[in-house]
Amino acid sequence: MNALIGWFKHILGRVVVRVWSWLHPTTPLPGGPRTSRQLTDNVMRTMNLVMPLKDKTAIGRARAALVIGSSLDEIYSGLDNVGTVHVARFCIVDNNLLMFSLYDGDFHTYIRDFIVTLGHAFDAVVELIEDTPPTPCWLHVDEFIEWVHRHDALQLPDSPGDLIELVAPGLTNLEDLSRYLVLQLDSNPNVQLGSYRSYPGHSVAEVREKLGVGW
Amino acid sequence: MVTAGAMPRVVGGATVDLADVQGNILRGYRKARVRHLVVCVTDARRGRAWIAAASARDAMDGARITDGGDWSRPPDTCFNVGLTATGMRALGVPDRIVRTFPAPWQQGMAARATIIGDWGDSDPAHWHARYRDSVSLHLIVSLHADTTALLDEIERAAMALPGGDALRIIGRDEGHRFEGGAVHFGYRDNIAQPRFEGITHPGKYDDQPRAPLGTILLGYDTDMQELRWSLPDPAVLGFNGAFNAYRVLEQDVAGFEAFLDRAADEVLRSPDADELLPPGSDSDVGGGGATRRAAMREVVAAKLMGRWRNGTPLSVSPAHPSQPGVPTNDFDYVDDPQGLKCPYGSHIRRGNPRGGKIVQRVSNHTRRLVRRGFPYGPPYDPARPDTIERGLLGNFLCANLEAQFEAVMYDWLNLGLLDPRLLGSNDPLVGVNDETAGWFRLPTRQGTIILRGIPRLVRTRGGAYTFLPGMSALRWIGSFQG
Repeated sequence: MNALIGWFKHILGRVVVRVWSWLHPTTPLPGGPRTSRQLTDNVMRTMNLVMPLKDKTAIGRARAALVIGSSLDEIYSGLDNVGTVHVARFCIVDNNLLMFSLYDGDFHTYIRDFIVTLGHAFDAVVELIEDTPPTPCWLHVDEFIEWVHRHDALQLPDSPGDLIELVAPGLTNLEDLSRYLVLQLDSNPNVQLGSYRSYPGHSVAEVREKLGVGW
Repeated sequence: MVTAGAMPRVVGGATVDLADVQGNILRGYRKARVRHLVVCVTDARRGRAWIAAASARDAMDGARITDGGDWSRPPDTCFNVGLTATGMRALGVPDRIVRTFPAPWQQGMAARATIIGDWGDSDPAHWHARYRDSVSLHLIVSLHADTTALLDEIERAAMALPGGDALRIIGRDEGHRFEGGAVHFGYRDNIAQPRFEGITHPGKYDDQPRAPLGTILLGYDTDMQELRWSLPDPAVLGFNGAFNAYRVLEQDVAGFEAFLDRAADEVLRSPDADELLPPGSDSDVGGGGATRRAAMREVVAAKLMGRWRNGTPLSVSPAHPSQPGVPTNDFDYVDDPQGLKCPYGSHIRRGNPRGGKIVQRVSNHTRRLVRRGFPYGPPYDPARPDTIERGLLGNFLCANLEAQFEAVMYDWLNLGLLDPRLLGSNDPLVGVNDETAGWFRLPTRQGTIILRGIPRLVRTRGGAYTFLPGMSALRWIGSFQG
């Protein structure tokens, strides 16, 4: 009986969301961090690229693993030269190639410097992805940055006030918040829910300088 | 030679047809006066007729948009046009074309306020009315001449062109040069400009690498390895064009001089005072008969800027300003990592770190801007304090607003990301400072003097992101049939 109720709720939920989204078309909010005046919001920013693989078989995943694996030295050296990247990692999760990183400063500058230093290596990576951007990426830099921006997951703010401001700016009845959130997540399935920083407000260069490893 | 009719992408050792480039991009006009007209286009067809007339090859010289071609006899008056995105739409260029331009220009300067530090009392809500209404801000028409009479004449001639009745002037900004090329804080300005490959005459280069044309014009190689900026569609609309961040920047001269008083007293109390101003050098630094305090004020002013007020770079002459024949732009920071000569947080070093060590090591020479500025308002007389608005009408020209102007404003001048010793500080002269939190590091051999309480000395009073199309692009707009 419980299974039947669960199935019924599941179906009802899908139908209700479709009706809601038909009645209230929701524009996906852009991913990545929002502009801020606070120092702590402008360093150690997060990027969560979710890039669906073209080939969703084990062969496709193996090809992605080999392309990334054969480029790692070049990618690490490039990230080092960007100078503002704390950490970066690549994963394959559920047929998506993920690149997660923590960086300082402006998103566009980060991606632009990234292309300058390792555009050649990244061209091979984006060829694995469903909606490949125009390549070579250093000749289509604006399109490439926009492509990365589109694949960067929406970042939901930590504070409830900021969450309302973001997903339901015209909210008059707090009870409607969950509906706005559902509609946004319906159009924007990949989200960052929070990010912990043990040393907020410090740049890569500051940390490296303090550790005496050069910046 | 490359013309706009040729393949609109030029690589490797490019030359440029200067007659296809608006003159104010690559030529410093060296006129005594400027007038920027803020213009609303009231009729698209008539507005395009005006653009066509002003850019026609056979237009009368005085009423023709000045190009950078033949400069054997520089004109008495110069006339240039920048378009905002709303302006391009107001001229009837379809939105699908406007949308192929970069986002910052499409959005406009006011929409980018947080990125470029225009908040608090620099917030667009506090700008002059002519800049607050971005819907009506379509063109910035810039006129240069040596006298007001000549400015009036070129303005009349420009507005009398066919279609001029479709232009409504909603405001004027008037600027004029001060004696010796100084600006309101007393510094000589407009010294360091990028020198471009294939443009500057041999022998005029400084020690900095020549900038590829793609640093300033669309359609050419940039300084970022093989990276190139996208041209809009159609390409002719972008080729040989440049973007301009036009800024009306109010300067608080009284506040600046008061800060120098406080800072000089603080430094004089420091054990490092004699290193910064060796005993007996007061007159060399502050002028004949200067007191020690007056001389230390000049030391502090120089450390904040990176140049003495007469333009002599600290990197070349760290001890005093008066060295005849000292090159004003031929220096680097490579040999001064500790900032003992020129502080790493000084205005000119933050804005252009040259070859000095910075965090973003691929960016050293990639954010160069062509700067063309004129003071506005009367010089401040400390004997007769007043509240008249005065400042700088600044044009910051580049090929990519986001990668150059905004990147400099955002993470070099205001975040201090380029050097871990600067993180969290703002540029001492133009940064978004707050008297309760602003600080500046003044390095000495013994340590560092931290000057606190830096007030906000420059406030934005208006501005616009404009695009300065090439002459062929202007003619394309002028002949556009909709």
